[in-house]
Formats: sequence, structure tokens, C-alpha cells
Amino acid sequence: MSETAHAAHPSTRDYVRIAIFLAVLTAIEVALFYVDEAFDMNGWDGPLLIGLSTIKFVAVVGWFMHLRFEDSFLSRFFGAGFVLAMILYGIVLAAFGAFAIFG
Amino acid sequence: MADTFEIEEGADAPEHDTGDDHHVVHESTGIDNRKLGMWVFLSSEFMFFGAFISNYLLYGNRDFDSVVPRDIYDIPFTSISSFVLLMSSLTMVLAHHALSTGDQNGTKTWLMATALLGSVFLGGQVFEFYEFITVKDMTLTSNPAASAFYMLTGFHGAHVAIGILMLLSLFGITRRQGGLSEKHGMNLELVGLYWHFVDIIWIVIFTIVYLLGAA
Amino acid sequence: MTTTASRPASTIFRRPRATEGFWSWITTTDHKKIGIMYGYAAFFFFIIGGLEALLLRLQLAGPNGDFLTAAEYNAMFTTHGVTMVFLFVMPASAAFFNYLLPLMIGARDVAFPRMNALSWWIFIFGGLFLYSVIFFGEVVPPVGIEDAQGVVVSGNIDESDQTLLGGLPDGGWFLYQPNAGPDYSPGAAIDFALIGLQILGVASLISAINFIVTVFNMRAEGMRLLRMPVFVWMTLVVAFLLLFSLPIIAVALFMATFDRAFGTLFFQAVGGGDPVLWQHLFWLFGHPEVYILILPAMGIVSEVLPTNSRKPLFGYAAVVFAGAAIGFLGFGVWAHHMFSSGITPVAQAAFGLATMTIAVPTGIKIFNWMGTMWGGRLKFNTAMLFSIGFVAMFVIGGLSGVTHSIVPSDWQQTDTYYIVGHFHYVLFGGAIFGLFSGIYYWFPKITGRLMNERLGKAHFWVQFIGFNLTFAPMHWLGLQGMVRRTWRYAPEAGLGPWNFAVTIGAFTIALGVAIFWVNWIYSKRKGEPSGLDPWDARTIEWTIPNPTPAYNFATPPVIHSLDDFWHQKYREDEEGRPVRREDADDLVERLDHEGRNPKSKIHLPAPSYFPFIMAMGLPLIGYGIIYHTSIVGKALLVIGPLITIGALIGWGIEPLEEPEDPDLHGDGPGGELVGAGAS
Repeated sequence: MSETAHAAHPSTRDYVRIAIFLAVLTAIEVALFYVDEAFDMNGWDGPLLIGLSTIKFVAVVGWFMHLRFEDSFLSRFFGAGFVLAMILYGIVLAAFGAFAIFG
Repeated sequence: MADTFEIEEGADAPEHDTGDDHHVVHESTGIDNRKLGMWVFLSSEFMFFGAFISNYLLYGNRDFDSVVPRDIYDIPFTSISSFVLLMSSLTMVLAHHALSTGDQNGTKTWLMATALLGSVFLGGQVFEFYEFITVKDMTLTSNPAASAFYMLTGFHGAHVAIGILMLLSLFGITRRQGGLSEKHGMNLELVGLYWHFVDIIWIVIFTIVYLLGAA
Repeated sequence: MTTTASRPASTIFRRPRATEGFWSWITTTDHKKIGIMYGYAAFFFFIIGGLEALLLRLQLAGPNGDFLTAAEYNAMFTTHGVTMVFLFVMPASAAFFNYLLPLMIGARDVAFPRMNALSWWIFIFGGLFLYSVIFFGEVVPPVGIEDAQGVVVSGNIDESDQTLLGGLPDGGWFLYQPNAGPDYSPGAAIDFALIGLQILGVASLISAINFIVTVFNMRAEGMRLLRMPVFVWMTLVVAFLLLFSLPIIAVALFMATFDRAFGTLFFQAVGGGDPVLWQHLFWLFGHPEVYILILPAMGIVSEVLPTNSRKPLFGYAAVVFAGAAIGFLGFGVWAHHMFSSGITPVAQAAFGLATMTIAVPTGIKIFNWMGTMWGGRLKFNTAMLFSIGFVAMFVIGGLSGVTHSIVPSDWQQTDTYYIVGHFHYVLFGGAIFGLFSGIYYWFPKITGRLMNERLGKAHFWVQFIGFNLTFAPMHWLGLQGMVRRTWRYAPEAGLGPWNFAVTIGAFTIALGVAIFWVNWIYSKRKGEPSGLDPWDARTIEWTIPNPTPAYNFATPPVIHSLDDFWHQKYREDEEGRPVRREDADDLVERLDHEGRNPKSKIHLPAPSYFPFIMAMGLPLIGYGIIYHTSIVGKALLVIGPLITIGALIGWGIEPLEEPEDPDLHGDGPGGELVGAGAS
């Protein structure tokens, strides 16, 4: 992300566009949920939903929190916390053999 | 060990005039202290919410013949409140944008809108808890799944509530002083970061706990 | 600042001005005063924790001891552990961080002076809250289990054990669930421990954020990251460990508190909860915590050894990176505390291997310290003795620690005195020896006087001998099968003689600490004046007068190299040996004079009432949660948050800068002090 640092900041119009994008993704998520209810998606709903929420996550962090436009130093901080949490709690859950929620 | 005796030279600026010592606060990285502090704090919040989410993932299926959250989620309702919180991120960023363009009235409006949307979300959560407890008969102590659900969403709700308090105090400052000064401009950015963070945590909770967790 | 200046100065939100006396300490935002307060508080709790240890040793001096009741014994080992970890070693390290960090990076203060004061006040209120259990605790027998004859058995504890000490928290410092849950530990004592630790965690989290921002943002000109003293690096690593591990324990403590206060089922096996989750969450925090305790001492030793060896630190970069590696790997070994709790063989193997790898960076540090001393002209002053003691004792503790990575061996050692011996070698022989080394080394910075060397050496040798007499026999006692956390052992077990020796050793340590105390009081008043540079030091905190002036540096320093002060005093001859420059003595004299006479007005962070008031709200909330069923508890749950939020609002709107008032300028040692600054 560092190469985009100090790029032009988004305008109001850009923010609204991103928000619409986020809303659409949320709508797709909810739709996926009902598709899975009606026709069993054989576990494909999991990766799809996680993928969509990851895009939402990145969009909010990158644009609304301006992380795309900040010093890469901050991204590293923030990323470190996120990655560490994923790894540590992933190991804990693995130790319990419990990813039960994903079937 | 002779190498460690060498004095590195060249890159340093010459000794500067230190007569004026007014600027006692300076930033070696070029990032404002308060902003760096907020990012550092938020990165530690991943560990905080990560523990609650893992806790729910671990306990979500432990029903013991009582009602667990996944049986009683109201997905349409929660989708709408998730949407509300998502849109509050938009209004928050617009408040920040308005301030950066010097639009004090816009700042006030968007701040208020953010606080309102946050309150709607929070009200929705209170309503959800009320429904779950009185109608669906699932209390904090029903089973580990219920305990984990209420703790996770409750602590997230507490973060939202704190965020609303901060938004309202910013709004109060704008009203009292007729605008946000440079100092409080940074405060608005910090509150914004916090608010967006609470939003991304909800993005994760909505997907993992509600959509994927529902039966 | 235009808006704050135009605002009428209200009398309520006027910032306090006292620079001396009681109120100056309550309202201070000066990192040095906060550091000193941390230091005294830590020493106070050290004495309490030490007395608790002596009571334990009196009970165990012989077989079937009856000095303490079972309830009292349980309470004493728990509070001893909690006190030493959270109320002594951590705040003692915080004292060093606070006092030295800004001086070592050439800063006027930390990044957020008021937040610094806040974390100190939260810490002390948290500690006092924890110990206030002595007024509220009572011995409540656990919900008993019926034995085969239908008789309810509740261990060795019943109402007849009602004593003052017996009412303290008694679940072990790790507060394992469900033993420390509502059924097996009724009464309020455990709640005080859980909420007390929660409050202390808030304090540490705030200071971690503060120190991280300080290190990254407040460095003097030319103070690049790889020119920072190792102590600063270790502070940074510790701050990161705190930052990422405290939220985990915060969640665990919330869950346990809710289990006890509101009936949730997180760790209650009877309701479907999983006690092993507590172990995971606790040790996810608990193992980084071990490094939080030891890394500051490693930083101190890395400053004391080179100075007193008259050589640069051998392999500076290696020591720094090894410290960071220890911090990183420290997050990946927590389950070696849980080998006997039924985790899978794969997990056991993985965590065993990870535990072995952590010996690598630790070994790197040990060899670097030895390389530093090798061939140096060693000065065996007290600080140096403690540092050498640290290295030696830490090697022993580290090696016995590596034995825990062998899983079957660990099963044998779990919950025996072998473990107690091991972690006292790293935490007492390591951390506390390092801290004492730092006290002897930096005492002149605080007081302008040297500590008495004769008393200091007596302190070292008494403590060193007492320490080894206390903790070395614990290894073989443990291997013989003496279990931890058990108030008595049978005469037939043959454990008596060594236990008696251990008790003698414990009292020898107490004698050593008493000598230190005498030395402190004596040297503070009558110690030899130190001058600017008593140790021929290397780092820039010694380029300013002793005791440190309120404004630290009269002129902001500019850094040209690692060990900058040393290079100002020494040059190299053809063979690479250091030669003292001819003008070095003049330099020291000039620095002393310039440091006392700043040329311009220096703005310092203004004192504030609000950190103190804000911190006061937290213990009230704690009492409120514990007694939430009563009307007083409910009232406190309203009052506590109101105080904290009210103080927060006051904090937000108090002026950053007082309007200048010529009558009230301090006339300290040359130069006017004006309150200013931001946080």
C-alpha cells in the first residue's frame, strides 16, 4: 500500500460510492444466506461469505479509515494485531478441534 | 569490536539552533502522537474481540437442550441494523471530510447523523436482547452458547455506546465554540478511527456469528 | 492554541501549579516523579509479598507444620504470587521505564504525560483495591463433594478457619477455573483478585501505548532506532507484549468475573463450559507476561555490563534482535504450561519444539553478555555484581526451563517444587537481580548521590547466598515429589531437612533486603555526591546533571552514534583501543554547568488533577460489580462511572496551557519553568 501513500484523498462522491458498494456486498451476503437456506450450498456459503466480509473489512479500513493514504508504518501495526489475533486464536480453536460452526 | 567504535557520520543534520524550545512535542515518524496511539490501541483491540469471537466459535453449538442463539437469530432484523451501522461509517467519514474542507455546519450535521445511526443500531441490539430473553427464553445463563453470544455482542455494544458518547461530546464542542479547532480536528479523526473500527468488528461478527452461525 | 487562549480561564479547570509538596505528587505529569512513585509503591508491595513468602516458609520449615491453617496457606501463596508479579516486578520495571525512557532517547517527557499519570494512578488504585480484600474477605468453604459414604467433603477448609489472612484470594496466581469459580471458591476474595487484575491491566495497557508512541515519536535528533540503548529496545518489546497480551487476559477476567457474579457458564464444566479455555486464555497472556517480567531486567543488564566492562556491548544488533525474537516467540509457547491438561499429542510436540527454539535467542543474549565482559577491564561495583549474578542465575533458570520442553519430563515436574525452583531462578535470580542492579546503577540519577558500596556488596552477597540456599534445593525437593500449593508434607516423605534449609535461605534473603533498605535510606541522605558521570557511562542520560533537573535536557541533544556519550569522551588508537580524549573532563564539567543553566524558557507538561480523579472511579466500579446485589453496590455502579466520565470530560476541556503569570514562575536551579504541553 505504500506506493499509494499520499495519493489524492477521496471526495464525498467517492465515499458515497464506497458506501453503496458496501451496502451491495451486505445485500449479497444476506442473499447468500437465504440461497443456502433454500438450496444447500454444500458448504460453499462459508468461503463466499468470509470472502465478501473480508472485502468489506478492507474497504472500510482502507478508505474510511484512510489507511491506504497513511504511512505504511500504521498498516504494519494494524496488520500485526490482526494477523497475530488470527494465528493465536486459530491455534486455540484448532487445539479444541473446534471449527464446528463451519460444519 | 572495533566496528562499534565507529561514529556514523554524514546523515545527521548539523546542530541546530535550540534557542526556541517551544515545540516540545515533535514526532520522529511524522505521524501525530495521538493518531499513532489510537492505531496502536486499535491493533490491540483485535486481540480483545478475537478472544470473544473465538469463545463464541467454541461454544456456539453447546445447547444442552436449551435455546441457543443460532436457533433464534432474526436475520432480516440484524441485516438492517448492520446496514445502519455500515452507513454510520459513511456519515462519520463525511463529517471528517467536511471538517477538512472547513465546512463546520456539515461537520455538525454528519456528526449528529453518525450518533443517531449508532443509537439506532444500539437500540436495535437492546430490542434483540429483549426479544431473546423474554420471548425466546434465552438468558445469559441458559447455556455456554448464550453466555458467549451476549458477551460478544454486549461488549461490542458497549464499544458503540462509548463511541456515541465521544461523538456527542465532539458535537457539544462544535456547538460551544462555533467550530472545531485544530486540536479538536484531530480528536474528530481519532473518534472516526475508533468508530470505523467498531464497524469492521461488526462486519466480522455479522458474517461469522449471524450468517454462518445460524442453523 | 488560539481557541484555548481565547477561552476565559475558569477557576475550576485551572491547571494545578504546585511543584513541591503533597499536591505536586498527586497532580504531577512529570515522568520522573511518576517513576519514583512507581518505585516506592513497588518496593512497598515487595515487602508485603516477601512477608507472605516468609509465612509460607515458616509453615513448610518442618513436616506437618501448623503455623498457618490450610486456608491461610492457600491465601498466602496466591497473594504472594499475584503481588510479586503484578504489584512488584511489573511496577518496578515501570519505574525504570518511566524514569529512564525519556532520558535515554533525549526527550522532555513521554508522548502523553497525563495518560502516564493516569496509568500510575490506575495502577496504585488497582493494587490497593486488590489488597482491600483484607477488609471484605472471609473464609467460605467450597461447595463440598459427597464421598462414598455420603459425607460432604470440602477439603481442609471450614468455617473454623475464619482468620484475617485466610480471607485473601486463594486460587493460585493463575486462578484456574472452575476451582476459582463460584462453586469451589465462594465468597468475594477471588472477585477482588479478578477485578483487581483487570484494573491493573488497564494501567499497563495505557502505559504500553504511551511507551510505544514515545519510542517511535519522541526520539531526539539523530536518535535512530538502531542507536537506541538496549534498555529502550527492551522497553519497546515489553510494551508490544503488553499491548497484545493484556486484551486476552482482560477477556478471560471478564468471563471469569461474569461466571462468578452473573452466572454465565464459560468455565463451569457442570454447565457445559470448558475449564481448559481458561487455561488457554490465561497462558496466552501468562507466557508473554513472563517475558514482560524478564526483558526489562535484560535491558538493565545490557546497560550495566558494557559500562562496567569499559567495552561496548558485544553484538548490539544481535542483542536487540534476540530481544525482539524472544518477544515474538513468547507468544507461541503458552501451551507448555498445559502439557498435563490433556491437549493433543500434536499440540504437545509443537509446543515442546517451540519452547526449545526460545532458548536460541536467549542463548544469543547470554553469549553476548559474556562476550561483553570478556577481555574488558571489569569494575566490580555493586551494580556490576548484580548484573553478573543475573547472568549466572538466569542461565540456571533458563536451562531448567528448557527441560520443560521435554513433554514426559514436564509431566513429572508439573505442580512440583521443581517448577517453583525454576521460575524463581528466572524471576528472582533474573528479574529481581537485574532490577537491583539498575537501582544501584541509576540511584545517582534520582538523588545525585552514590549508594554505599560496602552495604551494597553486603546486600549482594547475603542475597546471593540466601537466594541459592532458598531455591536450589527446591529443584531436588520437586524431583523427590514435593508438590506445590500443598500446605503440609508428611514426616515419612523425608523432605524435612532441605525444607528447613530453604526456610533459612528465605530469611537470609530477607536480611539482604533489609540491608538494601538501610543502604537506600542512608545513601539518600549521606551518600557520596556522584557528580555528572560517576560510572564513566555510555548513554545520554548521563550527559545531564544529577539529580535530573525537572526539564531533563537544557538543550535538546543531538545524537551521532550508538553510545553517544562514550564517543564524546573517548577516541580510538591505532589498535582500536579506547583512549580518553584530553578534553573529556572539561566536557563533563561543561555539561554539568550547561545542564543546570538552560538558556531559554522551557515548557513542561502542566500538572493535572484529572488522572487521579479518573483512576479513582475504577475501584468503585469494582466494588459495585462485586456487591451488585446490594443497594450500595448498585449506587457504586452509578457513582464510579460518573466520576470516571466526569474526569474524562474535565480532562478534555481543561486548558492545555495556563495563561502566563509572571509571579508564579518557578525559580528552580536556573531557568524558569512554565506549564505547557499536550497529552
